[in-house]
This record gives sequence, structure tokens and C-alpha cells, in this order.
Amino acid sequence: MSECLDIVQLEGVVRAFAGAKAVDGLSLKLKAGEVMGFLGTNGAGKTTTIKMMLGLLAPTSGTVKVLGGDPSDPRIRAHIGYMPEVATYYPYLNARELLAFYGGICGLDAKTVRSRTDSLLESVGLADTAKRPLRTYSKGMLQRAGIAQALLNDPDLLVLDEPFTGLDPLARIHFRELLRGLKERGKTIFFSSHELGETELLCDRVAIMKKGHCVYQGPVKDIAGDGATNLERLFLKTLEEAK
Amino acid sequence: MKLFARQTCALVKLSFIELWRRNDVFALVLLGLALMVPLSMATPFGAAGASRYLDEMALLLVWGFSLFVALGAGQRLFPPEFESRTIYPLLAKPISRGRLLVGKYIGAVAASWSALAFFYVLFVASVLLRGGAFSAELPQAVVLHFAFVALAVAVSLLGSLLVTASANLSLSAIVLVGMFFFGRRIPEYAEGLNPALAWILKGIYAVAPHAEFFDMRQRLIHGWGAVDGIVFVTVLVYAAVYVSVLLLLASLALGRKRL
Repeated sequence: MSECLDIVQLEGVVRAFAGAKAVDGLSLKLKAGEVMGFLGTNGAGKTTTIKMMLGLLAPTSGTVKVLGGDPSDPRIRAHIGYMPEVATYYPYLNARELLAFYGGICGLDAKTVRSRTDSLLESVGLADTAKRPLRTYSKGMLQRAGIAQALLNDPDLLVLDEPFTGLDPLARIHFRELLRGLKERGKTIFFSSHELGETELLCDRVAIMKKGHCVYQGPVKDIAGDGATNLERLFLKTLEEAK
Repeated sequence: MKLFARQTCALVKLSFIELWRRNDVFALVLLGLALMVPLSMATPFGAAGASRYLDEMALLLVWGFSLFVALGAGQRLFPPEFESRTIYPLLAKPISRGRLLVGKYIGAVAASWSALAFFYVLFVASVLLRGGAFSAELPQAVVLHFAFVALAVAVSLLGSLLVTASANLSLSAIVLVGMFFFGRRIPEYAEGLNPALAWILKGIYAVAPHAEFFDMRQRLIHGWGAVDGIVFVTVLVYAAVYVSVLLLLASLALGRKRL
């Protein structure tokens, strides 16, 4: 994947539900290998934007391009990994069966699924509990199963919706390291979060949403270099100014 | 094609695991055993010919259980995916909604067929244990029953995308059971009604799923012989066309669902 290629390209995207605009005129670019944090209060339009990036929702107007194509095309989605905010994965499956199921949906052959399942379960810390039914998993363990299924197809773009929700401090550190490892491998990561500290630690750039509008976009290093500010202050200041 | 085959295999496996790990199917299996084992040992009134009425009861149980399994399997295909939000990671994978629908339908039918096959094994065993025998119409009766199950899953699947779970299960059961028992009499009833009501009843008769077409219990029990090949094939074609229409409507309903 070329460094200068825009992995995600949103141009003047509007998404309205019954006349109310959940996303209004959003333009956003994400380059290959970048990690972008997508911030905003509840109802700011983050999840709607993510759904449009995954082809789950069509924009009312504007264009959404992911990996150079339309994300509603399954061939494009074959290169995307997605982890939802909260999902209660099939309670009667165990983690190994869950990954085998998603591997089949991705069209992977059994041998590839088996080898990736082993390494992914190990890397998300579920190897020891892989044969336990998912209904016995805690929220944090389900989150880890979620990240494993998102990585199963070795995606070029990883889209994570509130990935730190429900994780205990140790799991959080482990997850952060996992994302860092993916970044080092050149994966492009886009995640929405309310965890400003984690976002600051992980991201190259951030975008802040408020009531469907993008009110700030910029590199994290600019914020860190300010000396007087950090992401939390910037977040509050930006939201205040956007009133 | 390879992608579709792998996706379908994954969905079929998911349906099998779900069906056989759910306690309600085991409850049915145990209930089936509890009812059919005593039936297999009974000789009513000491009359050999009367045992056919036990076979009829056993077959009715098989039909009831299969309908229960099929409606449940169809109902569980999509609503739980929306409730648990697993529909999002699923549709974020390289699978279209149409393909997901077809794959899930095939999975639910295959899983329901496995349960039906199990019930038939119980039924055949209960008849053979009593010293009974089967005539040539058994294969036809079984094939038509399997086709009916495929139809019932499609009815339930469409309903699950339009109304709530309880409404869907109730409506689907009422329509299918109603047609099963009274479908063949609807034209007779219509004759005795005023023209407007008769027209409505005939309209219902035209569009409702004709569960009674698949019922060969009487032929099987009383040894009336197999139906003509052309009739048999026509009923199978009817099932295939009806299922296709239902899946097309379900596909439209799923496409309109807001994610």
C-alpha cells in the first residue's frame, strides 16, 4: 500500500435520518499507515460515520471512498476489519468457533483460519479460554474476541468503535500494545473513542465531531508540542468554541 | 463461487451448532422419545389393524415438532443478530445482504432437516418395533415433508423481518397449521358465502402457503399408494417457487432495514 494513498476519503458527506442530519458536510482523509482518533460527545455522528465507512449506511449526499472504492462493495470490505462498540457474539459458540465462522464468511480456507486463530487468540489473551462458550465471557473478554475477529482477514484498514470500552487497566495496556504493533506493521487504524488519554498515546491525528460537524482535525504531535495544552484541553476548548 | 461456498458452509455450521446446542431441541427430542417409545409398544384393543392410528398420532407429532423447529429456526436468523449487534461485524465482512440471507436460509433449512431426519428415525423405529412395515409411499411422504419444512423456514424468516418475534411465530403457526388442516376445504367454504366474502376467501386461498399439499400422512397410514410422479414434482416446484418469492420479499425487507 502506497504511503501517500488515501485509505479513507470522505468528501462533503451528509447523512440524514428523517430530515435530521446525523452527519453534516464531513470531509476527512486518512492516509496509509496512519492512526486516527475520532472523538466527539455522544450523538456527535461518530458511529454513523463509521457505518458509512463500512458500507452499512449510504450517505444522503457526498462521497465515501475506502481503499479507493465504494465500501458497499464486498471486495473492498474484504480488506477492512471492524470491531463494533458492543457486541454479544453468538453465546453458544466458543472463541475458536467464532473465529472459524468469521473466517468462513471472509472466504478464508480452513488451514489459514486455523493458523490465524491460534496466533490471534494468543495475541488477544484468549488462548486459555478459547473453548469456553462466549456466554461465559466478561465484557472485556468479548471485546478481545471482537478485536480478534476484526483482525482475522489481516485487514489493511482497521475500524474500531469505542475499542477501550469495558477493558480493565491491564487489558487496556495490552490492547494499546497490540494496536501499536499493528501500526508498526503499517496497518491503517481509525477508531472512535471517549478515552482521550488512550487516543493521545496512540494516534497520529485526531478529528473531533460535534452535532454532525467536524470541528477539528489535526496531528496529535501539534497538540503535544503546544506545551500548554493536551488532548483533553483541546477537546473541551474545541467543543466550547463550536457552540 | 468458492467464496459463496465457504460463506454458506460457515452459515450452515452456525445454524447446526445453534440448533443442537439449544435446550429446546433437546426438550423436543426427549418429548419425542417419551411419546414414541410407548407408542411403539402399544397394540390398541389387541387389533393389529388399529395400530395404524398410533402411527397417525406419531406422524402428527413428527409434523408438529418439525413445524416448531422450522419456525424457530427461521425466526432466529436475523432478529438476534440485530439485538446483539453482531449484524454489524457480519455485514462489515465481504458478504452482501442477499448472500447472507440465502446462506442463513440454507443453514436454517439444513439444521431443521437434521432435526426432522432424527424425528423420522424415531418414527420409523417405533413402527418397526411394533412389527409394522412401510409401503412405497414413504420416500415421497418424507421428501414432501422436507419440502414443507423448507417452506415453513422461509415463511418464518420473512415474518421475522416484518413483525416482532411473538407475532411472527403466532401468525406463521396459525397460517401454516390452518392451511394444513383446513386448506383443502377453503373452496367449499367459499361456495356457501356471499360473493364479497367468497372473493376474499378465494384470494387467501390463492396466496396462502398450501401446507396441505405436502401432507401424505393418510396415504402412508392407510397404504393408499404413492401419488403420480407429475403431482409429486408439481408440489416440489410449487415449494421451490413459493420459497423463492418469500426469499425475494425477505431480501427486500432486509435491504430496507436501517442499520
